[in-house]
Amino acid sequence: MERTTIGAWLSVPIFAAVLAVCVAPLAILFAFSFFQVDFVAIVREPTLRNYWTIAGSETYRGLIGSAFFSGFLVACITAIVGHPLGFYIAKRVKTAKSAFLILLLVPLYTGDLVRIFAWRVVLGNEGALNRFLLWTGVIDTPIEALLFSPLATHIVLVYNYLPFMVLGLWLAYESLDDGLLEAARDLGAGKASGFRRVTFPLTIPGLIAGGMMVFVMVVGDYLTPQLVGGASGVTIISAVNDLFGTAFDWPLGSAIAWTMLAILGLFFAAAAIAISRTNWARALAAGE
Amino acid sequence: MTVAGKGNPLVAGFVALVYGFMYVPVLVVLMFSLNDSEIFAFPLQGFTLRWFHEVLTDPRLIGGFGVTLSVAIPVSCLASVLGALAALALTRYGMRFKTVFLVLLLVPFLIPKAILALSQLILLSELGIERTLLTLIAAQTIIILPFTALVIASVLIRIDPRLEEAAADLGASPFSCFKRVTLPLMRNGIMAAFFIAFVLSSSEYVLTSLVSGRSQPLSVLVASDFRFAISPTLDALAVLIVIGNIALVGVGELFRKRSGQ
Repeated sequence: MERTTIGAWLSVPIFAAVLAVCVAPLAILFAFSFFQVDFVAIVREPTLRNYWTIAGSETYRGLIGSAFFSGFLVACITAIVGHPLGFYIAKRVKTAKSAFLILLLVPLYTGDLVRIFAWRVVLGNEGALNRFLLWTGVIDTPIEALLFSPLATHIVLVYNYLPFMVLGLWLAYESLDDGLLEAARDLGAGKASGFRRVTFPLTIPGLIAGGMMVFVMVVGDYLTPQLVGGASGVTIISAVNDLFGTAFDWPLGSAIAWTMLAILGLFFAAAAIAISRTNWARALAAGE
Repeated sequence: MTVAGKGNPLVAGFVALVYGFMYVPVLVVLMFSLNDSEIFAFPLQGFTLRWFHEVLTDPRLIGGFGVTLSVAIPVSCLASVLGALAALALTRYGMRFKTVFLVLLLVPFLIPKAILALSQLILLSELGIERTLLTLIAAQTIIILPFTALVIASVLIRIDPRLEEAAADLGASPFSCFKRVTLPLMRNGIMAAFFIAFVLSSSEYVLTSLVSGRSQPLSVLVASDFRFAISPTLDALAVLIVIGNIALVGVGELFRKRSGQ
């Protein structure tokens, strides 16, 4: 048998599993987004009304907008915080490189709930930080705004997804040739202009890859805003969740979900095109 | 002047600060899990293990742990086997629809888990299938598959293809070449994937809470506790989960390291 034929047979179970457990459900979700709900029954006549409802609703438009804004904001913060880390692990750490990487990933393996719980212990009204500040006499009454605020939500979101950004940037810095920077120095470039004109352009693929991962995970994360965001914790995903649960409007929920997927899909396509235009991807493709 | 010089102490300080930030919540939880007081107050009251004792003797938690095992073990087996197939197809045998395959493999990881879970609920209700541990196993396997495929592929790309070519030149059929050369070399990668899949499965919450039926794994069981209360007993539970996960990931990493030798 030819090797490509073996490869094709090997991939059959994967295709079957992903089609059955992921693609088929999403297709049904898409079909439902064109249905209507009549009291407790679902009317299966295709209509675009759900999408009109979303487009006409300030609430849903606002929630969708703020989900993508949060994703963008957290991606930017993790990029700024992550750049020095990616650089340091790739270029400065010599012997304990894998230890640095493992230490970076360990918090990820503790699970969403434990991480959020830990932050509640730190930031809560009765939590460690407030108690500590009371004990040392810095404050007289607990600061309630530490938890249940958009600030708390975004701190925890940065905490949750920073490792993904660092991984992307670390990979980019690993493949960055030091000789290029030395050449820039020899040609008279200062530190700032060396970063701006050599390092930064060459690490853009890692930035896009890491940023895209952070972006999509923040957009899809409803647990963190719900548990540490308090009243500000309503997100578009939790709204979809409610439409499937208590509100029993599966079609509208499906339409919102597909609107989100479509927008995410556009971002992915843009990111994939941007990455494929860089030298890095060309080098990878040529290496295969 | 070389770029790879001594390094800026500011950068090193910043890196230390960020690593500190990553571990502060975990360390605070650890501290209060060992503190002999019902409330989180300073100064600390002294050392105790009673919160851990409470967790380890709670029948409700032990029952939930049993359910977790009966989900996580099949999920890890399935995800490792499918991950091995995917990694082989991607790195070893070449294929015509590589990009389509890669995208399809990553889609379950890229779409928000809540949306995936809700769409699975529609499909289940359309087909008239009850939510059981089986549906949960299927759903979890799909979102963990990208991770296991990646781990196994990372081991496979380090195996010298000339070893397989040599076996083929010496007359080995593709099957016996796989069985006697490739499989022994990738075995540690599969083991590593198994442990990582176990950790991901047992700590997954969003999808699990939506797709699981009546019998609830530990993550769903403790979710309401974690969501609405903070107490030293919950600290101890969180510490146990963290230690268990780190130990499992550590074992997985050991397997992956061994495959490089």
